[in-house]
Amino acid sequence: MLVKSERIELNKRRTKTAGWIEKFGVYIMILVLLILGTLISNKFLTIDNLANVVHAVALLGIVAVGVTFVTYSGHFADMSVPGIIALSGMVAVDMLRYGLVVSLASGLVTGLMVGLINAFVVGKLRANPIIWTLAVAFVINGVVRWLYRGEQIYPDLKAGEKLATAFVNLARINIGGAVPITVVVFLVMVIIGQLLLTKTKFGVQLKLIGSSYEVARMTGVNVTGMVGLAFILSALAASIGGILLTSLVKIGAYYNGVGYDFRAVTAIVLGGVSLAGGKGNMIGVLGGVVVIGLLNNILTLLGVGTFSQTIVQGLVFILVVWFNTYSLRKLGKADG
Amino acid sequence: MDKMNKKFFQVINNYRIYFLCSLVFIAMAIFVPNFLTVYNLTNILKGMSLNVMVAIGFTIVMICKELDLSIGTTLTLGAMFVIGFQPALGWGWSLLIAVLAGALVGLANGFLVARAKIDSFIVTLGTMTTVQGIIFLYGKGYALNATDFTVADWLETPIIPFLPPRVLITIVLVLLFQVLLARTRYGRGFYMVGANRETAWLAGLNTEGYVIVAFILSGITAALGGALFAMSLSSATPTIGTSSLMIVVAATIIGGTSMAGGKGSILGSAVAVLTLTILYNGLTNLGAGYEIQILASGLVLAMVVLYEAYALYRADKVKGQRPELLKEVRMLQEGSKGS
Amino acid sequence: MGKKITGVLLVVLMAALLLLLFGCGGKQTQPSPGSQTGQGEKKSSNLEESIKAEGKVAQLKSDDGQPLLPPLEKKEVPPRPADPSKLPEDDAMHWYDMEYSGWGVTKVNIPQSPKDGAKGKKVILIVHGDHPWTTAYIRGAKKVADAYGMELKVMSPNWNPDVQAQMVDQAIGARPDMILMIPVDAKMSVQLFRKINQAGIPVIASNTHPESEAMKYVIAWTGPDDWGQFRMLARKFAELMHYEGGYAIIQHNPGGSPFFARTYAPITELKKIAPKMELLDKQAPGFEAEKTMQVVSDWLTRFGNKLKGIILSDDSAQAIGAVEAIKNANRQDIILVAAGNSKVGMDLVKEGKLQAITYQTAEGDGAAAVKAAADWFNGHDVEPVRYLPMHIITKDDVDKFMPAQW
Repeated sequence: MLVKSERIELNKRRTKTAGWIEKFGVYIMILVLLILGTLISNKFLTIDNLANVVHAVALLGIVAVGVTFVTYSGHFADMSVPGIIALSGMVAVDMLRYGLVVSLASGLVTGLMVGLINAFVVGKLRANPIIWTLAVAFVINGVVRWLYRGEQIYPDLKAGEKLATAFVNLARINIGGAVPITVVVFLVMVIIGQLLLTKTKFGVQLKLIGSSYEVARMTGVNVTGMVGLAFILSALAASIGGILLTSLVKIGAYYNGVGYDFRAVTAIVLGGVSLAGGKGNMIGVLGGVVVIGLLNNILTLLGVGTFSQTIVQGLVFILVVWFNTYSLRKLGKADG
Repeated sequence: MDKMNKKFFQVINNYRIYFLCSLVFIAMAIFVPNFLTVYNLTNILKGMSLNVMVAIGFTIVMICKELDLSIGTTLTLGAMFVIGFQPALGWGWSLLIAVLAGALVGLANGFLVARAKIDSFIVTLGTMTTVQGIIFLYGKGYALNATDFTVADWLETPIIPFLPPRVLITIVLVLLFQVLLARTRYGRGFYMVGANRETAWLAGLNTEGYVIVAFILSGITAALGGALFAMSLSSATPTIGTSSLMIVVAATIIGGTSMAGGKGSILGSAVAVLTLTILYNGLTNLGAGYEIQILASGLVLAMVVLYEAYALYRADKVKGQRPELLKEVRMLQEGSKGS
Repeated sequence: MGKKITGVLLVVLMAALLLLLFGCGGKQTQPSPGSQTGQGEKKSSNLEESIKAEGKVAQLKSDDGQPLLPPLEKKEVPPRPADPSKLPEDDAMHWYDMEYSGWGVTKVNIPQSPKDGAKGKKVILIVHGDHPWTTAYIRGAKKVADAYGMELKVMSPNWNPDVQAQMVDQAIGARPDMILMIPVDAKMSVQLFRKINQAGIPVIASNTHPESEAMKYVIAWTGPDDWGQFRMLARKFAELMHYEGGYAIIQHNPGGSPFFARTYAPITELKKIAPKMELLDKQAPGFEAEKTMQVVSDWLTRFGNKLKGIILSDDSAQAIGAVEAIKNANRQDIILVAAGNSKVGMDLVKEGKLQAITYQTAEGDGAAAVKAAADWFNGHDVEPVRYLPMHIITKDDVDKFMPAQW
């Protein structure tokens, strides 16, 4: 039998543990994977290998950071992300002939405009986010294929050798000769995102909206603006990712970015952001993205074939989320 | 006068998918040569069968306010199993195994959603990946085929005008589930569970059971649809169902099912799939490429979502207001401006 | 007030977006070289005119400056082993039914050629899906069709077997003089070709090699010899590797015949000609640069200096990923060879980052199918299997194939 104060103490401790698991649970997973990897191969725990892992998932991470705002605000996911990636990349290539700055700016603006439309329809008119962004993805896909007649476009044919080289090298810059730019952009975005979520009015209000939209509205939060902003940030991140991806593959094409919608959600959820909204943080998303990279790395080092890798990825995903939900519920912080 | 107008619009809104379908049908009949032939109409019905079948279960899940992203790969699983087991066991048993496999995927989904309380979007995203891996592993990456075409021909040849057995089975199942959901007490439970789970639970419904059953039905119809499609071609590929997911999601929404749960009908979803199939068929006949088709279906979906959102937005705005008083105020204002 | 401004702003933005897009991409028209045959000269018969057109067709060029219709090749066909599936996977004969599909098949119910000339014939082409490659393929097909004065209608099911099945029914309903089809899947196509055949419409298969079973129902198949080409690529690869060292394969997407051809043609060929070479691993990361980069990086970590060469199933995204990975690891000594000759691939060959790629003319592929159809209408003999010519592009002759077709 517990005395009242003891019970309160225990509850406090439980809540604390729960909060900890909620915030950083994914890092337990990373630790497990790191140990596993070290046991499997002596080349695993080298800077080169780990750097490769992060490099390979950096683009996914950039996109995931943006979608996190949408998920955090309780609006599930932005399914128009693949469309934005393809569109902003193609526009950037197309505008390259007017100079690199114009190209990048127009790529970003295109993404922003799609984000604005999403912001208006979901934020203002309260359309269902998944379905609306899905419709947007369909429309973008159709428009892009129609405009470019199903062709892919190349920077050097659009703008000549010099500008093309500048554009193509964008994703190949190494900061300090060692750190790829995609990784730098990703980490910077994580930090900015984390600051936005924790240190600004926007972040606090977004959390409130994610926890309960109605309560947020009643307390006078500008829900329309905040939700809209989340979608705009998501589109912005996707267009940054889209431009970098296009620069990497040297092709503007309507199929660039396929699959990024679901992969981003996978990373976000692994990172402890609840689809119900209002829970999680960017550091967790960073972890979620790294887990995806590490898992692939270890499975390939083990020599597991593609088919079995697919199964393992699916199962690990379910198990991790299950564990997360289960432990949170046991600890008295039910999810959703 | 105003009231009648309102009622009129409500009727139109409730049956909008049927109007939309008729509209598309009439437009295609006018503009597309050879559209109104028995042969072409039979084709359209055959073309819709697979996605209609998958949409049945998907709609039930959506009515329960859940989402099933695994239908695409479950469909493929059904298709692969029915062809894979046919040489050893014959069509009957292999069909049974395919459907059971679908039910098993549904059971896993349902259990994880209802009992482990994980969001269905996440659960089915996970099972989607897992099942795809199982399919690849089962077929070693191969497509499979059967050498026996008797069943394939039977399924595809009309027994009464317009209706080959595959279409007939689909329509019968649609009507069966439509009646089950709309007319039986048990079926209406799905709507209650979707509209408000707590109220449903307080009303004595086994909400967990309902959710699990919904997912099992979704698995079964997806696998059955895939299996029948594979049988009609006597073969299956490991990626056969990839594009069905998005089409079925779009059709279900266009057909009037709400993601907020508790609303929708299987007949509506079926007619929405039919509408999209007519659209594709007509556009293909006119020589339009896939880009126009996906653009058209995107626009239709966007319009429906926009309309619904706008209607809700309007309703929300006037909630608690008294329009007749407002009108008076407005008239007064205009009067004063005029003078 | 504020709301109105927001509204107006949004509309303006959307309009601007649309304008921008139209400005960017809307105006790329391709002049089609084929001239419409005049209506005036009705005196000579249709057949004579069609045969006259053959001279013109032979002159056509694809956009890379190569002849559109190079002479097609035949292939040595060994006798079939008793039960190929009993043999091990690294034995070439295990894959006999895939590699030599279509030879020695008894044709069923093939319609007789009307022998009244190709001109004015209605042909429906059902492709497998949209892709820049397909765009080039259709361009090639249209060039030939225009030169003959044939009416060509294209349908694209976007890689969806369900939609392709519907399109086959639709095409049959349109009662054309001939149907050309690239099957989405080799095995699924059997019933589709059978249906067309039973409807009494002549059909020619193209590009993706269907099952032997399906070859019963088609007049002919034309397309690249994926197996033969990858054997050729493997021989070049072995030469570049000096017949030794470990190698790995980035595979095609599972499901289709290229998945097998581009994996097992090199494996079986290398086992025969370079027994000292060792297959270290094979993975199918899809056609994505980032995923391929990760797999290759992982391989470099896992195998280190044992890994000397990589065979890729695609020379765009996969090649970019592999090139980046070996650059990051400072392992430019690794030999890379790939399938296809896209622009990205040829640029990489030119830069010396890819050592060899296969030449696969997309336009010629489309052209060959229509040519086979025209030959049939003109009353010529059409062989059951026609392979496109094979060639390996290296740095020495890459310029001859520029600009790329796609």
